[in-house]
Amino acid sequence: MLLSAENVSKTFGSLRAVAGANLAIDEGEIIGLIGPNGAGKSTFFNCLAGDTLPTTGRIVFDGRDVTRASPEEHAELGVGRTFQVPATFEDLTVLDNVMVGAFLRHPHRGAAREHALQVLDLVGLGDRQNLRARSLGTPGRKRLEIARVLATGPRLMLLDEALAGLTPVELQQAIALVKKIHQTGVTLVIVEHIMEVIMTLAARVIVFNQGHVIAQGKPADVVRQEAVIEAYLGRGHRNWRKKD
Amino acid sequence: MKAPIALALAFILYPFVFSNAFYLDIGVALLLAAISASAWNIVGGYAGQVSVGHCMFFGAGAYLPLLVYHHWQLPPVVGVPLGIIVSLVLAVIVGMPTFRLTGHYFSMATIAVAELIRLVIGTWDFAGAAIGLQGPAVGRGWWDLTFRGELPYYFIFLAVLIVLLLVISTIERTRFGYYLRAIKAGERAARSLGVPVRRTKLYALMLSAAFTSIAGSLYSIKTGFIDPESGFGILVSVQMVIIAALGGAGTLYGPLVGALILIPLQTATNTWFGGGGTGLTYILYGGIIVLIARFEPGGLHEMWHRIAPKFGKRHAA
Repeated sequence: MLLSAENVSKTFGSLRAVAGANLAIDEGEIIGLIGPNGAGKSTFFNCLAGDTLPTTGRIVFDGRDVTRASPEEHAELGVGRTFQVPATFEDLTVLDNVMVGAFLRHPHRGAAREHALQVLDLVGLGDRQNLRARSLGTPGRKRLEIARVLATGPRLMLLDEALAGLTPVELQQAIALVKKIHQTGVTLVIVEHIMEVIMTLAARVIVFNQGHVIAQGKPADVVRQEAVIEAYLGRGHRNWRKKD
Repeated sequence: MKAPIALALAFILYPFVFSNAFYLDIGVALLLAAISASAWNIVGGYAGQVSVGHCMFFGAGAYLPLLVYHHWQLPPVVGVPLGIIVSLVLAVIVGMPTFRLTGHYFSMATIAVAELIRLVIGTWDFAGAAIGLQGPAVGRGWWDLTFRGELPYYFIFLAVLIVLLLVISTIERTRFGYYLRAIKAGERAARSLGVPVRRTKLYALMLSAAFTSIAGSLYSIKTGFIDPESGFGILVSVQMVIIAALGGAGTLYGPLVGALILIPLQTATNTWFGGGGTGLTYILYGGIIVLIARFEPGGLHEMWHRIAPKFGKRHAA
């Protein structure tokens, strides 16, 4: 097992954002994390990335307890993440952005640059390496974020709505990119609202609602479960159906 | 590479072209301001950690040479490394707790510590209290780094500035330099990429403190006098910030460009208004802050990069 989260909870004052969530990820999997807005998936995601300290529970990555580990330590161990709102270094060039990530495993500038260029070619940004990050559009910045994480040499990548806001064509390109990354041996956890992405990419889906994991399994099975439909559509959805 | 060499040549030739004591004094002041602002730029410009209390390092560097001279009759130059050590300790004391936090805590802590030191020094007899300390009455030579004329100081200051710029230029191309810029652009994202944010910021502050301390030492050795206001006064810090911001914080030559504009301007206003211009420096600084914040937050460096391509196009047409 690559990563396991046992009974992870997170409370903010009186609000319990995550309530005893469990998760086990095997090496090489692609897992989709879905749920309605405010379900607690982003908080749980932040706990996995070391950005948020869980109130209770334990997170183990590759046999090592990382519950209280910092984001830097997570990156060092091989856990990389993207952000819901792309957090690219706006004034740095595309290449420099990726080099920051590459320096983690390649301390010397020449080696870091070479690695960064390879990654940029992989994500399709090779021809835009000298542009400033701020000059890229949303799809470009999302790709750049993925490239930056890839450059750190992750074993597990946590993608937080990395494919949101893309046009249908861009979405297909992004799905192809994620598949390509997966083929290199990287395990992926994807938080996503776009069901097309989840259905296409994820082998297993975990559904969050009100801080709890309410369902998990194969995407096709999970979306038919009553609890999942209720979480998205509310309890009145049956009455609506009857009216129809 | 041509521009830096031309600039260095211009600085080397300056004292021979403008050998008058007044112009030489402006040259020395300009170089000192460029050294201080470039040192501040390491942590304030590249890492984006705005220190408004850098005078604590300047003051430590300025006081130590005259303290060792005053109390133990040692050459002032002996106090230079001692000033660096004290500045490094101060940097760790300020940086360790504040770099754990995000927001403006670092800026506030630097102001608080600097003011505290100024008040303590101003009442501490050992450090000359409010009157300050004096160095050797006349210059004694190279062994002591005290001279009768301005010219040797000019070249010492120039050499220190060149060394500092070379150090910064080397840092720019290393992992440390990339990390500094990443921290400035977004700490959370930088941490997620494995950047040891707190450690990197602390190293930047220590390096910055060491060079600021050297600037302070050069100032007091050259002037032969230091008091709490000229060593630890808030204006000392504000000047570093404004010079770097005016030229372009986080750029190699920004502080030098800022000093090239501000120091002659400051000297000119002081000369024109004489004693009647007391407080004019504050107005000048305030005006520059407003102009930079409103029109060009990236300083002249950013402005140049924006307008230079337009000039190019016009010439091409």
